[in-house]
Amino acid sequence: MATTSSESDSSRKNTDNKENESKDEQNNMFECNICLDNAKDAVVSVCGHLFCWPCLHQWLETRSSRQVCPVCKAVISKDKVIPIYGRGNTKQEDPRNKVPPRPAGQRTEPDANTGFPGFNFGDGGFHLSFGIGAFPFGFLTSFNFSDRPHGVPVGGQLQQDDHYLSKLFLWIAVIFIVWLLLA
Amino acid sequence: MNNIATQRIKREFKEVIKSEELAKCSIKVDLVGDSYTELKGEIAGPPDTPYEGGKFFLEIKVPETYPFNPPKVRFMTKIWHPNISSVTGAICLDILKDQWAAAMTLRTVLLSLQALMAAAEPDDPQDAVVAKQYKEYPEIFAKTASYWTNVYAGGPNKNTDFDSKIQRLKDMGIESDQARGALSTFNWDLERATEQLFS
Ligand SMILES: [Zn+2]
Ligand SMILES: [Zn+2]
Repeated sequence: MATTSSESDSSRKNTDNKENESKDEQNNMFECNICLDNAKDAVVSVCGHLFCWPCLHQWLETRSSRQVCPVCKAVISKDKVIPIYGRGNTKQEDPRNKVPPRPAGQRTEPDANTGFPGFNFGDGGFHLSFGIGAFPFGFLTSFNFSDRPHGVPVGGQLQQDDHYLSKLFLWIAVIFIVWLLLA
Repeated sequence: MNNIATQRIKREFKEVIKSEELAKCSIKVDLVGDSYTELKGEIAGPPDTPYEGGKFFLEIKVPETYPFNPPKVRFMTKIWHPNISSVTGAICLDILKDQWAAAMTLRTVLLSLQALMAAAEPDDPQDAVVAKQYKEYPEIFAKTASYWTNVYAGGPNKNTDFDSKIQRLKDMGIESDQARGALSTFNWDLERATEQLFS
């Protein structure tokens, strides 16, 4: 009797161990191949490799000229990855529609339509163009003074380029708005 | 450092520590300082190569954009190999450049370097002098690589003939690394090495 029971004990222990191992393996199965963490907003490539969408997105951005699977180097693209929806996920939203967090250091041009004074006074052509024409200079002057403290040496050429570029972008925005209003 | 880079290096660290290769003393990774931006790798010279028995240390720098961009790796231990600079330790390996993929890890990088040591690619060299010797005088190449492994990486194969040639140059006031480099470059022709060093 004693032998039998100890045998069954040890065999149960074995199965317990096996279960634990297979649980570990299962957990690993759902790890993102890029961050090595559990995949968030999971997507799978056509070659079958699992990623977080933000991770894969950043990889595709980094290698925009040569888009290959980070694991097997098969050709992949944003349109051909499949989002994965588990049960209990109430909003079955395509993770590709979310804006993934971008890498640091990218800047976007300010939206010319927001916070633009004079835009609401679009009642007369003359009044409008006057308002817009005066605006960029005032804005640029205050920008340059507030952005760079006095006494800090700045590369003259660089500052001029900056100045020129921001001026150019502002004018493009102005022309665009005028065109919008007139159209 | 960006969070994903640190998180990943921490995970990879565990992976290397658990790996069979570590148990076989074939690869190893250590931290340098507290940050996860700089690491020290170690590769055992692969068997049946001139590097057998040697321990090769690597400088590994992890960029902020890791794993989207490859780590920067360089041999700290001097090595005589067509794809590694005998002067700077710079490595010419495609996966450390344009063939990098975000799913690769420190472990796969170290294993690839070990494979590169076992199978050089002389047609895509980093060190043109070594590559030329590898192709034209394979026996001299093997002896030189084995000798460098002995001197710099603790390998077992001594070479008294090479030692005495280096001693001759040292007697003329040449520093030993420089003498070894010149003699290796000129296929251990003492006359040509001397000529080049004093010209
Ligand atoms: Zn991920
Ligand atoms: Zn794949």
